[in-house]
Amino acid sequence: MNRLTVTVLGIVAAVGGSGIVFVGINKLFDLTESRYAQFNGIVGGLVSAGLFGLLWGNRIIESPEIATLIAIAIGGATGYALGVLEAPDRRLVAGAGGGVALGLLAGLFAQDSVMPSIDPVATVVGVVIGAGLGLAVWAVAGRGDNMVPRLLAGTAFGWLFGAWLAADFDGSRAEVIIAAVVLGGLVGAVVGTRRHPNQVERAQIAVASRKFIFLTPALVFVSAALVIPLMRTIWLGFLTGNPRDLRWTGLTNYTELFSDAGIIDFSGFGDIFTSRMFWGAILLIVAGVFVGRFVGRSLGTSFSLDAGSLSLLGGGATLFGFALFTTVRGTIANNLWWIFSVIIFAVSLGLAVAVLADRSKGENIAKSFIFLPMAISFVGAGVIWRLIYVARPPGDPQTGVFNTLWVEIGKASNSGTAQIVISIILGLIILPLLYLAWRGWQAGSNPLMAGSLLVSALLGYLIYRFVGPGIGGFKTSEVTGEIIADPVLFIQTGPWNNFWMMLVFIWIYTGFAMVIFSAAIKAVSEDLLEAARIDGATESQTFWRVTVPQIFPTIGVVTTTLIVTVLKVFDIPKVMTNGNFDTQVLANEMWERAFTQLNFGLGSAVAVVLFIGVLPVMYLNIRRMQKERLG
Amino acid sequence: MTATTERTTAGISALTGRRPLGNRIYGWLRSIPTWFLWILVIVWTVPTFSLFVNSFRTRDSQRASGFWNALSDGDFPTLDNYREVLFPDVGAGLGNALLNSVAIAVVATIIPIAIAAFAAYAFAWIDFKGREWLFIATVALLAVPTQVALIPLLSAYSNGVALTLPIVDRTIQLFPDLDLSGQIPSVWLTHTGFALPFAIFLLHNYIAGLPKDLFESAALDGADHFKVFWRLVLPLSVPVLAAFAIFQFLWTWNDYLIALTMIGGNREALPATIVVASLAGEFGAREHLLTAGAFVITIMPLVVFFALQRFFVRGITAGSVKG
Repeated sequence: MNRLTVTVLGIVAAVGGSGIVFVGINKLFDLTESRYAQFNGIVGGLVSAGLFGLLWGNRIIESPEIATLIAIAIGGATGYALGVLEAPDRRLVAGAGGGVALGLLAGLFAQDSVMPSIDPVATVVGVVIGAGLGLAVWAVAGRGDNMVPRLLAGTAFGWLFGAWLAADFDGSRAEVIIAAVVLGGLVGAVVGTRRHPNQVERAQIAVASRKFIFLTPALVFVSAALVIPLMRTIWLGFLTGNPRDLRWTGLTNYTELFSDAGIIDFSGFGDIFTSRMFWGAILLIVAGVFVGRFVGRSLGTSFSLDAGSLSLLGGGATLFGFALFTTVRGTIANNLWWIFSVIIFAVSLGLAVAVLADRSKGENIAKSFIFLPMAISFVGAGVIWRLIYVARPPGDPQTGVFNTLWVEIGKASNSGTAQIVISIILGLIILPLLYLAWRGWQAGSNPLMAGSLLVSALLGYLIYRFVGPGIGGFKTSEVTGEIIADPVLFIQTGPWNNFWMMLVFIWIYTGFAMVIFSAAIKAVSEDLLEAARIDGATESQTFWRVTVPQIFPTIGVVTTTLIVTVLKVFDIPKVMTNGNFDTQVLANEMWERAFTQLNFGLGSAVAVVLFIGVLPVMYLNIRRMQKERLG
Repeated sequence: MTATTERTTAGISALTGRRPLGNRIYGWLRSIPTWFLWILVIVWTVPTFSLFVNSFRTRDSQRASGFWNALSDGDFPTLDNYREVLFPDVGAGLGNALLNSVAIAVVATIIPIAIAAFAAYAFAWIDFKGREWLFIATVALLAVPTQVALIPLLSAYSNGVALTLPIVDRTIQLFPDLDLSGQIPSVWLTHTGFALPFAIFLLHNYIAGLPKDLFESAALDGADHFKVFWRLVLPLSVPVLAAFAIFQFLWTWNDYLIALTMIGGNREALPATIVVASLAGEFGAREHLLTAGAFVITIMPLVVFFALQRFFVRGITAGSVKG
């Protein structure tokens, strides 16, 4: 119960506090028009509070609570005076006076350890250079009537460097008071030289301030959480050593990274030529090109990218990618494989579901269930799929869905009756498919014919495997010669365990792709589709020649989003294998280097590699937005 | 598509007055794609369903047979796993972790929405120099992976931020060492920063699309930006605010990386995802609790999802299709 109260209070405090700050600042700037003096007083108090807060945080002043309270009072009074006084000389006196008072306060409360022994030479040099800089700024900025404030500001800056930062901190109380009072007086004088705004200008302040009030919180958070850390990470990538003592090392982190066989390993590349997947890929791609040319010629174009040729080419590309990524290994290869598989499967499945569900019965139910995994966390999904993949010892009953099916298929292909029954069932499925192919041939529908023949061929191969060499999770025991179950260690056996984890991601993100494609398909103009139908296009022709070109930009958006998301995949490998069994990915590599081994340099270098990976996507996004917004 | 197919086959049989066997088989086979859809739906649902069923089975049953055998267990359903996983004195103490998850997700949802709404309004309706570029730069950060910010942020939370001035070599503490690492506020701050590019993008798309007349007449009535924002824009933007809220709530509730990095070893402040993930890392004695644990962290997103699916879908599709 106690914890519950603390939690609720924490939530209320965080949300309420932020709200009060924002509304308060807006209300404060509402005062400029009607009650300028009060507004000025509050701003003066807030600025002093901030200034003394900084001194407080740096442990520069003693009994900081009292000093800060007095400072707020002085700042408030000065601000109020500046809000009332209009004559320039009085304003100067008020500003400088307030500054001197704050300086005196800081000097009186200064700790012994920060008392500068003022070095006259450094101070004079600093002041001269500062004043010169101020004049230079004035000259460059067009030589308006603001020479005095620029000169004063430059001098104050020079004083800060000369009397404070260049000095050794072993001076006396008198010296710290002089150093602080002069600085305060100069800064106060700069403020005092500002003209008293008239009614119109006050109204302008009220209006012009809003953009800052509205934007500052966002920009502060974005810079503090993303921009500055990003730059710091890039810098850290060039350093080495433990977190407390980092030294410059140039590109060593990167050379170390890329010479590590765990990161990228081409040594197995030669095996690709003996892999069946590779030759299968070549075969499919050649067939795809041939079909595309053949169909294209019959339609009068040079190449037809439709269901037939695209499925062959896509299948070939998939096989080729898998052949490549099972031979070239390492963390970066794993990441590329992730991107490759997730894009191919999530985009094609998402598109298929969106098309099939579109305007069909139960569309919303079907889409809901496909989309549901999007709501589940990667951690939850990892646990869910571990149950699906689990492998029990050969003697025990299997409890994972995959291994149960696999072992049961193995049993069936070793039992005479099951062989016959399954062959007959598959044969009964093949017959109507062949009939369908014939109908497709008659109707001139190449995709229908090709699809039916392809599925028939696959089923035929399945019959062959069942009756012939056998298929499924079984092996012959070396000891007894018996047939025993042989479950697959989905999570432990590389390199395919990578793919089984990608499947989890595909399971989640197919819904994402589907939802976006679904919206895009519904946005395709009905008139266009109707026109195509009136011209005698079949459903599949309408889809490939009208719908697909219309949703093509959406495919690009989904792909880039997936690239960004998959590139930083972390949770699934972390929960399922923690990078073991040859499944390391960049995000987990980064986390381990940085937070387990506390090697900030190398961790940052891995993070920079990730960042470089998204740069092309960032570039594309920026170009797209530029086109939309700047015309 | 399928509807049209049905219509064509129906047309054929209407013309011929009978339905030959061939056509019947043909029509039947042409609906294979629809079967494919529903098979996919079942396949997509089985994993979640199996988790649900297994979470009500004892350790022994879970090890002895698959979830489809649940009904033949003697003691199905049992709540033992849940009892054990939720309470700290018996098991994993997921109950406390759930409170932390709520604390993280609620605040890390509300604060980014507020901040992003201000900024989106400014980008949409306040004119200033460099507005377009600032907007594009902010939204471009959407693609930046969180990993690039983790190391500097963690050291800022644990040691504060100090700036060492060049030449004079003095160090000034800009952000105090509040010892935030290991505490929930560090996760709030991090989520807020990371969420803003997307939030601004999403809210801006909507707020910029509100009718211009509205703002002109409000300005004529003498309303300033703050009043317009408060009285007009916020009430009108409820749909998109809800869409982002759901998206962000699920995102922060499901987050693992940021909490793991920022909270790390402080057991008191860990959210539920980390507790479940560490159960998963044990590979042994308490593995049967994993099902209940995973289901507990999944139930909240599922409830949100089914109750507010429309908003969630809008949050995801907004900007992707038109943009």
